[in-house]
Amino acid sequence: MSSLVAVDWPFLLPVLAPAGGAILVLLLDAVAPALTRVHAAVGLVALLVGAAAAVPAIATTGDRPLRTLCLPAPEGACLYEAGAVAGALQVGALLSALVVLLLVWPSHHDRRALRGGPAVVVCLVLGATAGAAGVAAAHDLGSWLVCLELATLPAIALVALRGTRAAGRGALALLTTSLVSFSMVALGAALWLVATGEAVFASGAAQQALASSERRPVLLLGVLLLVAGLGFKLSLVPFHAWTPAAYAGGSEPVAAFLAATSKVAALAALLVVLRPLAQEGSLVLVAVGVLAAGSMTLGNVLALVQDDPVRLLAWSTVAQAGWVVLPLAALNPGSAPAAAAYLLAYVIATLVAFVVVHILGPSSSLDGPQESRRTLVGYTGLLRTRPLLGAALGLALLSLAGLPPGLVGLVAKVFVLRPVVGESQWGLALVAVANAVLGIAVYLRWFGTLLRDPDAAGSGTAARPAGRRLRRADLAALLLCSTALVVTSVMPQLLFGLVG
Amino acid sequence: MILAALVVPAAVAVWLLSAGRSLTHRASNLLATTASAVTLVAVVAAVVVRPTVDRPWVPSLGLRWELAVDGISAPLLLLTALLTVAVVVHTTDRPPVGGTSAAFHACLLLVEFGALATFFARDAVLFFVAFEVVLVPMWVLITRYGDAHRPAERAGAGARFVLYTAFGSTLMLVGVLALVAKAGTSDLDVLARGGGHGIPGHTQAVIAALLVAGLAVKVPVFPVHTWLPPAHTTAPTAGSVLLAAVLLKMGTYGLVRLPLASVPEGFARVAPVLAVLGAVGILWGGLACLVERDLKRLVAYSSVAHMGFVVIGLASGTRTGLQAALFANVAHGIVSALLFVVVGGLKERWGDADLETSRAAVREVAPRLGFALVVGLAASLGLPGLIGFWGEFLSVYAAWSAEGRPLALFRTLAVVAAVGTVLAAAYALRVARVVWAGDRNVPLIADTRSSEWLVVAVLVVSTIGLGVVPGPLLALTGGAVASIVGAAP
Repeated sequence: MSSLVAVDWPFLLPVLAPAGGAILVLLLDAVAPALTRVHAAVGLVALLVGAAAAVPAIATTGDRPLRTLCLPAPEGACLYEAGAVAGALQVGALLSALVVLLLVWPSHHDRRALRGGPAVVVCLVLGATAGAAGVAAAHDLGSWLVCLELATLPAIALVALRGTRAAGRGALALLTTSLVSFSMVALGAALWLVATGEAVFASGAAQQALASSERRPVLLLGVLLLVAGLGFKLSLVPFHAWTPAAYAGGSEPVAAFLAATSKVAALAALLVVLRPLAQEGSLVLVAVGVLAAGSMTLGNVLALVQDDPVRLLAWSTVAQAGWVVLPLAALNPGSAPAAAAYLLAYVIATLVAFVVVHILGPSSSLDGPQESRRTLVGYTGLLRTRPLLGAALGLALLSLAGLPPGLVGLVAKVFVLRPVVGESQWGLALVAVANAVLGIAVYLRWFGTLLRDPDAAGSGTAARPAGRRLRRADLAALLLCSTALVVTSVMPQLLFGLVG
Repeated sequence: MILAALVVPAAVAVWLLSAGRSLTHRASNLLATTASAVTLVAVVAAVVVRPTVDRPWVPSLGLRWELAVDGISAPLLLLTALLTVAVVVHTTDRPPVGGTSAAFHACLLLVEFGALATFFARDAVLFFVAFEVVLVPMWVLITRYGDAHRPAERAGAGARFVLYTAFGSTLMLVGVLALVAKAGTSDLDVLARGGGHGIPGHTQAVIAALLVAGLAVKVPVFPVHTWLPPAHTTAPTAGSVLLAAVLLKMGTYGLVRLPLASVPEGFARVAPVLAVLGAVGILWGGLACLVERDLKRLVAYSSVAHMGFVVIGLASGTRTGLQAALFANVAHGIVSALLFVVVGGLKERWGDADLETSRAAVREVAPRLGFALVVGLAASLGLPGLIGFWGEFLSVYAAWSAEGRPLALFRTLAVVAAVGTVLAAAYALRVARVVWAGDRNVPLIADTRSSEWLVVAVLVVSTIGLGVVPGPLLALTGGAVASIVGAAP
């Protein structure tokens, strides 16, 4: 076996640690189901180990990524290849899952909050995270497909686990789109295999296919199908329809997971596909550009009229997904790092927002109708009444809007615009400018309610969320991601240096 | 010193927003006064010594903390630091309504921080980042602390301000990124020395158009000026002063630094359009002032007219024109600050600022305030011997003798601008007649005292002082202007 495939176990640890953690949690649950906190702690440790193991990949330089699972010569293709961008995305996926895990941290009184018990939730989160970490570094069609689905399917279960009618609807929407997207991705992968003759995402074979007039359309069709399938996962317009339903249906931590870890997985998968095409593919570029422009515009316009903060964040995900893929519409060596950097900045800011919404939201207990009480009016005067939460949420919203003091968002926008402007795509740049303004309107609307005087609001006082007692795990999650937000706002290079 | 001038206001503002939230008005005002005074000292020292700072910030973007002072930024730095002290002192006797005092002062200091960083910045991308810093604090000042009677209007004005200027600055960012991509550096000094060499003409034109369009929103130039009057009308006095005297200057400063210095060839193609729009702005603002009923809004429209002169001076592309623009910039900063302090004070005393309501003649009941108003109006109409005269006179002269530009067009524009000064005289005299003259002395209003009088006095003295002796200011900008425009007259 070892003569057939070379394996460097430490390189694989970012994927293996969460996967192993998931199995360990299941075993523990079978042996000692009462030790719910131990389950969660095992999950935390697994994610931390994985994140630590992903750090060496970040230090690699462009042309010398960490490679393992290499086939013997003469082909010599490696099935696992983690460069700086992939490493950074792995760290982002693992740490965002860590925050989600803290939010679902089991406590004494709501042990039965989610069906199946806390262990199942921990196990699903770990499983999906393993998939997300794997897809970032997958370099062949087989493991890419498996990891992509591993990152998606547990998320459906997470949404459904809540057991409410809304959760059922959300899970159904997610399941349907996942199936459609899987079929598209599978078909795209098959076409890729037909066109290039290789089951590996290698640029050499892709270039040969592009050069031949017969195989070129097949490959481009395959890539378009792959992009469309991934568009579902990234919630790009017109493949976005599941997003608000799934976010609003699941609990806030699950929505946070969908907004953060799942998006990292989807972008990582997209980068893997687009990397071999780095020199060619005007058709693909146009497709990506249209998707980006459409997502930004529709997402922002619809976010502008939402009143449920979770739905607003869902539409903001759609808009921000457009920003994430925007640089990929330009052929530029800076495109992939820019997309990854923007995504990481978005993940940090949106996690802070979800943590605050979770802490303030109506308790995520069994009764469903309460969801209707989660409104923007409820945030009136938050900066005054609960300064810590208000400040964290305010900074997160400004980061999403790309306004100082949320500098990380602003610098991220500079990053993604740079390749687009560098390639003189003025039309796309102007759409982006218009959407930067729309986005500011979206987030300032919410930010404005935070500032408003809580006593002068009158009718708003009744709807103010009482706010649950701040649990220690929630506080830890809040501190973890808001510290990340503050630090990266003061020193953006800490984040943007990650992607090289 | 540069770092001190930036760190002090930022640190004090952050402290006021976090730990100092519950501070009383008196305490936070004292703290802010100290902070702004220290900043002023640091800025003066920086202007004298001219130190430079250069350290990397976001290496992967090539973004550096590259800060320096030269003749173009020095007057604006001094103006910003001085006026921040003035507005903070001015706030001493009027606790802000609508929110905590600590947050109000923090916003003032953050605006100062952003403006100083903008003027210090020598890196195009850093310039953009600093440009954006002022948005949120200014928005908070307008929507939270503005006109207490009209909350809906306040929210509308604040939103319009943020969205317009954010649109402008993002457009500018696209221009900056295009410039940086083509020129290969974001160092403003290197860009200015390069003067756009190696960038093809039409690309220069596109870059210049993007930059000018983006910055024109901030200046503001005619068709995109509509955010300014509502913002001024609803903002608190301190906010109005900073808006007129500092924020608008960031726009004109950007025009000098970015398109004019970096892509002169492209700017030359855009300049006629810009000049026409400036001239339209002069007429439009002047005509609006003739019929405007709200005194604060009238001053805001007069700002549009004054910035028209600045824009024409810039567009002429001559050394005189640039000098005139920079001088008119400072002049407008001081005069509009004076007018907004006086008019804001009147609005506070009257309850509103409607010119149709008959009131006591300010000359009779509040002679000191009346004197300040008359000085402000006289400077605004460009009376020789006051600060407003030099900038506008030289600007018209520069447009008349604009070599290298379509001369017939610029001469026409010079005539139009001269007509604009007549309009300025008409509306200034209208205000003086309605508000200042007359012999009614009911209802009685209090004359200006203590902190307000101090601020007004300083502004009046600078208006007259720089009007009589414009030499030092012109000399300060002269050298740097020559390096940008070259040896042209």
